[in-house]
Amino acid sequence: MEPLTIVYLVYTFIAFYFLFIYILTYSQNRKQIYEVIKPDRNYPLSIVVPCFNEAKSIGKTIEAILNSDYKGLKKVIVVDDCSDDNSYEIIKKYAKKFPRVMAVQTPKNTGNAAGAKNYGAKFVKTELIGFSDADSFPKKDAMSKMVGFFNDTKTGAVTSRVLVSNRENKISKVQAIEYKIIAFTRKLLGFLESIYVTNGPLSIYRKKAFDQVKGFDEKNLTEDIEITWNFVSKGWKVQMAIPAIAYTVVPDNVKTWFNQRIRWNVGGLQTISKYRSQFRETGMLGLFIMPFFTLSWILGLTGLFFLAYRIFQYVVVKFLVTKYSVAANVALIAAEDFNMNPSILFLFGMLLFVLGLTYTLTAMAYSREKDFPKHPLRDIFIYSIFYLLMYPPLLIVAFYKFIKGHNTW
Amino acid sequence: MLKSKKHVFWEALVITIAIFLVGLFTGILVETGNSNKISNLYIQSEISLVDGTAISQLSKDSELDCDSLRKNNIDFANKIYEEAKLLEQYETAGKLTDGMKLLHKKYDLLRTLLWMGNQNSLDRCDNYHLIVYLYEYEAEEIEKKATQKVWSKILLDLKKEDPNTLLIPIAADQEITSLNLLIEEYKINSLPALIVNNKDVLYTIKNTQNVKDLFNN
Repeated sequence: MEPLTIVYLVYTFIAFYFLFIYILTYSQNRKQIYEVIKPDRNYPLSIVVPCFNEAKSIGKTIEAILNSDYKGLKKVIVVDDCSDDNSYEIIKKYAKKFPRVMAVQTPKNTGNAAGAKNYGAKFVKTELIGFSDADSFPKKDAMSKMVGFFNDTKTGAVTSRVLVSNRENKISKVQAIEYKIIAFTRKLLGFLESIYVTNGPLSIYRKKAFDQVKGFDEKNLTEDIEITWNFVSKGWKVQMAIPAIAYTVVPDNVKTWFNQRIRWNVGGLQTISKYRSQFRETGMLGLFIMPFFTLSWILGLTGLFFLAYRIFQYVVVKFLVTKYSVAANVALIAAEDFNMNPSILFLFGMLLFVLGLTYTLTAMAYSREKDFPKHPLRDIFIYSIFYLLMYPPLLIVAFYKFIKGHNTW
Repeated sequence: MLKSKKHVFWEALVITIAIFLVGLFTGILVETGNSNKISNLYIQSEISLVDGTAISQLSKDSELDCDSLRKNNIDFANKIYEEAKLLEQYETAGKLTDGMKLLHKKYDLLRTLLWMGNQNSLDRCDNYHLIVYLYEYEAEEIEKKATQKVWSKILLDLKKEDPNTLLIPIAADQEITSLNLLIEEYKINSLPALIVNNKDVLYTIKNTQNVKDLFNN
């Protein structure tokens, strides 16, 4: 057997393994995916909203939070991180109008969301502390559907399902699909106690746990991933309430999208690097989350390498054959060029693709929305084939930036 | 409260291993089946070759007519050419076993024997053309891969244009001693190479005309 065949088989094996973990978790827990737990009491909750130059959306975000039907919501602390626009004026107006809203400003710009979040957390006196991005809009019932998970005293964090609010162009439409798949996958990981991120648009933490992990790491570009790993490493459970929805604004052009994804990936690498010693531990962080995260990276990078190598070879050979065939005046395509005997690797690849597509369609079926039209099949195919291919190149750029010590938003 | 379902890791591992084993087993089964199919064809071809050699032997001793000889050789070459195409397809699809590579080598030996058998026949009968196409089996260079693909197309066109052409493609890097001796005899120094009518050696061909020009020499 050729070395390349062995690499393909190992690659396929790992991909099948992860896919079956998801499929089995889904089939064994499908009735609980939408489960909402009734809270034993109204846990007092404060929401912190970090804001930097979000004059366009901050008002809508505050209104969405105030519109919540959760009776335990005590305070909405909106932290202006020394914006250059008039965000702080808007926040103060809301604070004047609504007693539950508190307007605060950091002494100087912290340079990242984590700094503003930690600053706001200092003003929180409630049992639960939540965070929402300034361009995100939690649904009315989102918080009330999350707090029930805190009945379990071991639960340190509960995250929501993030969906896309702006769907005007192709890139935002494809992200709308991506966010649904991410949410569905994260819920499945929740059944395995392996949620590795509590999102920025809406997550609620037990204040005791938040204080224990000393808040967000301001040096990490993805403070929401880092704090989640920190919770898990300290033995706290992290849950996800899929019926709790928070809408968010996603990048609508390639440049912004690319920069956001680079930040996510560099932050992911920073987190792996920070917790690398936990690999040897037997908790879910060392047992699954870290290997899963790291393997995803390795698979993405090796997959890209092999794909690029095969495509390069194929394209160059085809180009030369065409060039020489034209010069020789022979047929460009002959019947012999078509092989009707597929290899086992091809069949494995097809099976993997079909299972992956079925998984995507299942996730989509679980995420139907009343307020938005259904996603056309064309967009699902664009996501499944072309969009996912963008991930590995991002990993390479992110890896380079990580090595170079990139640490700015 | 949601119950942890960590046993799923083991179940997924068992299913993945099972699917892999079934897949690999099926793959090996299919490849072995293909190998057997080619082996059977090879045996028939081997019989035909021995028969052809006997005919060649007869032609030396008797006045066997050249048309029969030509027809026999070309039919046999066509037969093994078709088998080679099938072998090549199976070879491309075969990833798990090395049986096909060995069969390819056997076919190369068979074609070498056919070439050797035609050394005498061509001297006596000049009613057909013999083209021996020597190529690199495990070509790594992209340029060489592309060149060989185009040469195959040119030679196929040539054969279609002139049915009296006996085309013998042989992988020259298969470490077959008799073939190596013949390559040495013709002073072949690079691949791919074309030997036309056991006289002329070509290292570059641009179109069918390059070879046809040599037929008329």
